[in-house]
Amino acid sequence: MKWLLNFLKGKWLGHPLHPILVHVPMAMWPGALIFDLLSKWQIGGNAMVRLSFYAIVFGLATSLLALPTGLVDWTGIKKEKPAWKIGLYHLALNIVVTALFAINLGLRLPDFRDAVMVATPPLTLSILGTAILIVSAYLGGRMTYHYGISVARMSKDEWREIAKAGGANLPPE
Amino acid sequence: MNGARSPKRVEPIFPRSKIDMLKDFLEGKPLQHPIHPMLVHFPIGLFLLSFLLDLASLASSSVPNLVRGSFYAMLLGLITSLVAAVPGLVDYTDIRSDHPGKRTATAHMILNFMVVVVYGINLGIRSSSLLDPKISMGPFILSLVGVGLLSASGYLGGRLVYDEGIAVGRHKRHMPTPRDTIHLTAPIPGADSVFVPITAAQQLRERETLRVEIDSQVMTIAKIDNQLFAFQEFCTHRYGPLSEGKFEGFNVQCPWHNSCFDVRSGKVTNGPAKVDLKTFKVETRDGKVGVLLTKHP
Repeated sequence: MKWLLNFLKGKWLGHPLHPILVHVPMAMWPGALIFDLLSKWQIGGNAMVRLSFYAIVFGLATSLLALPTGLVDWTGIKKEKPAWKIGLYHLALNIVVTALFAINLGLRLPDFRDAVMVATPPLTLSILGTAILIVSAYLGGRMTYHYGISVARMSKDEWREIAKAGGANLPPE
Repeated sequence: MNGARSPKRVEPIFPRSKIDMLKDFLEGKPLQHPIHPMLVHFPIGLFLLSFLLDLASLASSSVPNLVRGSFYAMLLGLITSLVAAVPGLVDYTDIRSDHPGKRTATAHMILNFMVVVVYGINLGIRSSSLLDPKISMGPFILSLVGVGLLSASGYLGGRLVYDEGIAVGRHKRHMPTPRDTIHLTAPIPGADSVFVPITAAQQLRERETLRVEIDSQVMTIAKIDNQLFAFQEFCTHRYGPLSEGKFEGFNVQCPWHNSCFDVRSGKVTNGPAKVDLKTFKVETRDGKVGVLLTKHP
């Protein structure tokens, strides 16, 4: 089991996996919204409708991979830390967003092959999903950039050497 | 420490010029989140999508509009990559010149420049054959090269954040961070106690810092409440840069994981750090301000 945890944490890559994988849904779903709007303005025709569909599929597939890596990173945070609660909100919002885009995809399934314009109900879901996604992604970013989650986790030995060479007091190894 | 933490944000002590405010904005300080890493999701995701659509067009020529879709995804990817370049450049200029992450950042920037050029050429070539059922070999190979360069560059960008801590906790600080390390040598090496004058410390503004190295001892000099303090540069948790930390009262907060230390005593006032900082005595001798280094502190 430990190898799986280390795999999901990205130790083999020297980089946490979750923030890599989330680039895909984070680009695909707001991208789908942009493609939906372009299609509403009669740009691109069926190519744009299909593109939006494929973007949502790619986002969904990757978000399912991102989920276990995010869970592993989150369980590494102590419950009394502020980042733990932010992680919980981030997780809950991401589940909502994923469900919204799954429904969105279902609505498109019958006619994306021929339609030349995205219908209003899936467009509405794209707007809603993107709005919630932005909030959720911001919380994820806060975990990294404000609370330092996963920062210097894999590089701490290198930094220790630098600090040691710089004459610093060090914690016991 | 908790007594010193005020709920409302501390106002900048020095007025900021218009350029400084623009720089703060592009570094994402009002959002309390750097902007470049937010925007790069788009080129990374969209260039990958266009590559997958290229592959799909090669796999099945019966599905219509794949080549056109790939073109649109790539076009949006290129536009967003150009937007992301602006805050990226600002972030780059703010990395201390001798920071271990600086070279990584330079490589990241050069690779990104190549990515933009490769995708610009790719878009130009494929724009004339959008109705093809299959992508032709030229643009497909360019996509392959683009994805390869992008993956390498994206990986380096991630290393900058997660290994080097670039932009982590930067928004918490109002004052500029040191551009360089000042290298000094003790005049009498081996003496029990030596006074090392630090000329630049005289010009420090309130809550501004210097990063100083004296005979391989790296320290932060900070001015707080019109007094100078000197303490070790590296946090005792994961060795974050305290010269880039935030000051509240007489506390310095590490930008990475928010450990706090009293700059007067070096004592930990808030975790996760558990070990106190090494501190150095600041003195004025013959009108020169400097630190007193003792062999047995």
